[in-house]
Parts: sequence; C-alpha cells; structure tokens
Amino acid sequence: MVASLWPAAVVGVPLAGALVLAAAGRRMHPRTVAWIAISAVGVAFASTVAALLDYLARREAMGEAFVGLSTRLWSFGGPQAPGIELGLLGDGLSLWFALIVTGVGLLIHVYSVGYMADDPGFRRYFAQLNYFIFAMSLLVMSDGLVGTIAGWANVGLASYLLIGFWYQREDARAAAIKAFLVTFSGEVGLVLATALLWNQTGTVQYYVLFERLEHVPAGVLTAAGLLLLWGAAAKSAQLPLHVWLPDAMAGPTPVSALIHAATMVTAGVYLTARMYPLYAAAPVAQAAVAWVGGLSALMGALVACGQTDIKRVLAYSTMSQIGYMLLGVGVAAEAAGVFHFFTQAFFKALLFLAAGLVIHRLGGEQDMTRMGGLARTMRLAFGAYLVGAAAMMGIPPFSGFYSKDAILEAAWSHGHVALWAIGILAATLTAFYSVRMLALIFGGSPGPAVVAASHGGGHGHPEPAWVVRSMGVPVAVLAVLATAGGWVWIPGRTAWAATVLDGFFGRFRDGLEAAGHAAGSLPAWVLWAPLAAAAVGAAAALAVYAGAAGPSRTRIPAPAGVAAAWAAGLYVDHAYRRVLVEPALRFAGWVSRHVEAGGIDESVHGVALLAAQASEWLKGLQSGFVRRYTLVVLATAAVLLIWVVAGV
Amino acid sequence: MPGATLEAYLAVAALLFGIGAMGVLLRRSPLAMLMSVEIMWSAAGLAFVAAARWWLDMSGHILTFLAMTVAAAEVAIGLALVVIIFRPRERVDVDDVHDLAG
Repeated sequence: MVASLWPAAVVGVPLAGALVLAAAGRRMHPRTVAWIAISAVGVAFASTVAALLDYLARREAMGEAFVGLSTRLWSFGGPQAPGIELGLLGDGLSLWFALIVTGVGLLIHVYSVGYMADDPGFRRYFAQLNYFIFAMSLLVMSDGLVGTIAGWANVGLASYLLIGFWYQREDARAAAIKAFLVTFSGEVGLVLATALLWNQTGTVQYYVLFERLEHVPAGVLTAAGLLLLWGAAAKSAQLPLHVWLPDAMAGPTPVSALIHAATMVTAGVYLTARMYPLYAAAPVAQAAVAWVGGLSALMGALVACGQTDIKRVLAYSTMSQIGYMLLGVGVAAEAAGVFHFFTQAFFKALLFLAAGLVIHRLGGEQDMTRMGGLARTMRLAFGAYLVGAAAMMGIPPFSGFYSKDAILEAAWSHGHVALWAIGILAATLTAFYSVRMLALIFGGSPGPAVVAASHGGGHGHPEPAWVVRSMGVPVAVLAVLATAGGWVWIPGRTAWAATVLDGFFGRFRDGLEAAGHAAGSLPAWVLWAPLAAAAVGAAAALAVYAGAAGPSRTRIPAPAGVAAAWAAGLYVDHAYRRVLVEPALRFAGWVSRHVEAGGIDESVHGVALLAAQASEWLKGLQSGFVRRYTLVVLATAAVLLIWVVAGV
Repeated sequence: MPGATLEAYLAVAALLFGIGAMGVLLRRSPLAMLMSVEIMWSAAGLAFVAAARWWLDMSGHILTFLAMTVAAAEVAIGLALVVIIFRPRERVDVDDVHDLAG
C-alpha cells in the first residue's frame, strides 16, 4: 500500500461542498450554488482520474507487490478491541466504481442545474446531492468493512432525503420512509456479518481479512456471505427486498438517475464483488448470490412489461439489470458483473435523463400511455432513448452487448445452465419492454399529454438556452458513453478494463481469465443466443405496440389476471403489507392503548391519585375542633413525659 | 403537718392538674375551659411551692410568681378573645368554632 491523498480528495471534496452549501447555501445566488456543487464533484472526478492513472503507473512499475493507494483515517475500538480501522483505499475495484460515481455524478449535477432550475429547493437539492456523492465515494473507496458500513448508512440517509425531496407530497414522504426501512434491514445483515468476521479474524480491512480467511470455518463464512447478501439485496433492490425501488421514483428524475440507477443501488454489487474471496470459499452463499440475482433479473423484467409509468418501468429495469450483475458475481465472473455495472451506469442514466427531458417537457406527465408521437418533436430524447435501449437490449456495438454477453457466457461456461436460461429469458423480456417504451413514448400519433403540452400546457414558458444546454449536453455525453463504453473490454482486442480490474480480482485467484471472460471455447449458438432473444422480444413488442393508438396502447399481451399481477409488481408489496406492515401497525396500536395509555399514563395518574389521597388523610388531622387539638397536645405531652422518665 | 412528705403535695398537684386537663377536654364553654386551665396553672404553682419548701430553694417561689403573672396575662387575653369570637354567635360553644378546618 502506498500512502496517498487522492482517495481523501475524492471523498472529502464533495463532503466539503455539501457542508458549505448546507451552512451558507440559503444566502447564495443559485448560480453560486450550482458552481460550488459542480466544482466539488468535478474535483472529485479529476482526483479519481488522477488516482487511477497513478495506480496504473505504479502497478506497471511495482507489479504484484503494489496493492493500492491508501489513506488512514481513524482507529476505533481500543486495546480490548483491536483491528477496527477506518481508512480509504484506491485499488482497481474502488477506483473503477469511483470513476462512475464521480463521473456520472458530475454529468447529473450539470443536468440537474437545468432540470431543477424552477424549484424553490434548488440549494437544498445540491447540498444533498453533494452529500450523496461523498457518501457513495466513502462506500466504494473504503479500505475495510467499517468504512463501507459508514458509507452505506450515509448513502441511505442521502437517499431518504432525496427521495423525499418534495416532502410536501405524501407519496414522496412514504416512499422515503419505505426505502429507508427496507435498506436499513439490510444494514443489520451487514453489521452482523462484519461483527462475525471481525470476531473470527480480528480485522475488518479487506486485504488483511482475505489473507486470514482460510482460518475461518466454512459455516461461519457461509453465514457471513448470506448476511452480506441480505444487505446487498436490500440496498440493490433485489428479490425480495426490491419493493422500495419503484416507489422511490417519487424523487426528482436526476436523483432517480444517479442514485437509483447508476450508483447507490449498485452498492450491493460492489460489496459482493469486493468480498469475492469470501464467496469463493463459501459456495453455498455464492450460489445464493447468483440465484437472487438471476431471479431478480427475471422478475424485474417481467414486471416492467406491465407498468405504465415511465419511471417505474426504468426502476424495475434497474432491478433486473442489477440482477444480471449479481448473477455475474455469483457465478465467479465478478469482473463481468462489475463491467456490466460500468455499462449499465451509462445507459440507465441515459434512459432516465432522456425520460426526464420528456417528463419536463410534458409538465410532469409520467404515464406512457398518454404520450406518443414525440419522435420528431424531441429528437435528442428520441435518439438518446434509442441508444440507451439498444445498449440495454445488448445490441452490438453498443456498450451493453459486451458486458451482458460476458455474464451470460460465463454463466454457461461455469456450468450454470439454469441461470443462463433465466438470463436469456430476461433478455427477451428486456427487449420487449424497451421497445414497448420506445413505441409508447415516441411512436405513433401524439397522445393526450403531448397534445396538451403543445397547446401551452406542459412547461409553460419556453426554456432559456442555458437550461436546454445543461440538460442536453449530459444526455449527449452519456449517449456517446453508452455507445462506446463497452469498447474498453473487447476480448481479443482491447483490455483496458481488464488491466484495471485485474489488480483486485486477479490477486486472490489465478488471474482474471478465471473471473469469466473466456469466450473462445463456447458453441456458436450460445454466443448468439442473447442477441436472438433480444430480437424475439423486440419483434414481439413491435407487433403489439407499433402503430397502436388509443386503448390499444394500454394492451398487455397476457390474460387479464396476469396483466394485473404484472402491474401490481406480482403482489410482493401486498404480501409485505399483510405479513409485516399490518401486524406491526396493530401491535403499535396495542402498545399505544395498553402500554402507553394504560400502563404509563395510569402510573402517572396513580402517583397523582396517591398524593391526593394522602392529602385527604392529612386533611383529617385539621378538623378545626379546639378540643380535638387539645387532646392531641395533651396526649403527645404525656407520651413524651413517659418516654423521658422511663427511657432516660 | 410535719409528717406530710413532698410526694403527698406533688400527688395533690398532679390530681389538680388532671382535673384541670379533664375540664379543658370535656367542657364546651370557653369560660369553663379557661377556668380549667387556671386550675392547671394552680397545680403547677403548688408543685413549685412544695418543692421549694421541701428543698429550701428560693427558685420555686420565684417561678410561682412568674407562673401567676403569666396566668393572669393569659386569662386577660383569653377572655378578650372569647368575647370577640363569641359576640356574633348564638351559642357559646367551642365546638361551633371550626372554620379553620383543612
């Protein structure tokens, strides 16, 4: 490890930005606020790039001996509890993630300047967004589980604040609480796993931990792996803890793009990839990761086909894509999974931001069935959406093709045929809902919302040029990245990504190739299957939705009951409500009536009653009758006399 | 009587004190109560004089003078209070005066 300040810059500058904006933002001009926020993230991004270049150069020079750039921060515990360290680490994996966090974060900051221009909470928004970048950077740049937990918790808070940004709306408030509670349950798993591992190995820092893992019994490793999976599934919105993500779309669209598509929800992927030596030694837990991912990929894609709200489609789509990433990590193809994180960040953020352009233009309309015919009037959004959808469907040469195929190929070649099949099926559904979105939003004739907007509804006044640019430029940049982002790792041609990731993934295993990128030995039809699946899905969607108008736009090609189930998210929310929420509310009601009102209130009343009764009794002593008083005096005197005479 | 011991005198004083105490407790007329208190004062004075004569100590006689003085002052004020308290009332009965009840 080489000591360096770059990691501290990446994490610290956004924190400084957030603090400055939180403290003094209210008195600042919006332009100052925007500049401070953007500069903070810009500096963080530049530091990440610098750190990455430094890392690569040192790896060149020092080879295997070089682990990463580190910054020690704090030591918790004490002589009785050694090894609880907090520090920052810039190695292949952390810098890979930090690149996306700060880079895409920067683009979305710029986009937000235009999108949130009319919002009275402009300053609060940027303070919170900077805070988020800090928290997420801390999560991925931490050198051990303690820092990751700290980042995890802060990210949860940032997410709560930003989902509930428009707190006057009840659905935003409820969604923020729901997100926080569900992800918080996962944090329990994370903390338990950390405690377990620290107890067994005496450390929480990744590299030291990995070296000591062989002394830990397999059962403990499996337990830790499953607990970590619990945390990862909660934060990454995987089955069955995905329920908060669709509701989280109540936040502003740039927030959905950044937090609930590109970065925060990928924290689970980061964690399971980071802990790969543990999972390698606990095959049961690793299989669990793969299956959670696979089933989430399938379910997310399925439910997305039945949604009418554009952001909910993208939310379930994100769940599905993250499922792919976890699938990759779970079949020992961590590098492929992490590569898909990279490309997904680009195309999913692109899709969200393009959706934001549409929503912004239509004055807040998010129902796809009321849109349509925007292909000619919103050309940038349309082009961006095409690129994003193509990348998501895995069409070459767009970025998603390389990463998604890498995962599926690895699944096949590591023998997980069932998971491969699930992945292919999900790919078909992915293509279906992607084309469905394109058709409903941009195709056909203008829908009711579009007509209303063009007649002076929608956004109202024409947008100033700088707003248009602030939103348009990031979209264009992301479109380029979504197109070319996959080219950093084409097997046999380029391997820049492999160089970066090998520094971590190749260390505790023999080489990166074992991490799943060997495409040479597979039968041809396996290689072509994902593309074929996408073609089938796309064709089906075109058949159903192309040229559809009016009621046929809401058509979902499935029997009525099934369609309703899809729209309702396969009733998972209903199940939670019945099993968890309602009993909890009933219990709370019982406690409120019997413990609070009955027990505690009654005790306080009892004390008051006691005082009153004692007072009544004492009152009796003051009857007002002279002769009674006289009697008391004489009796007391007699008693005292006897006592003195007899006692002394 | 040369044969009478101190104890005899103290016994008479105690008896007188008890009679006076009974009177204070059992009589309902304020005047009767004051008279009973006077009897108690007298009992105390008798005890003091007897002890002073027995032990040939002048302090007892002096204390008796003090007791009689204070008794007189008390009666004066007590009677004045009785007059004031019972002037507007119909019956002169101590049990009727219980306005300071809690």
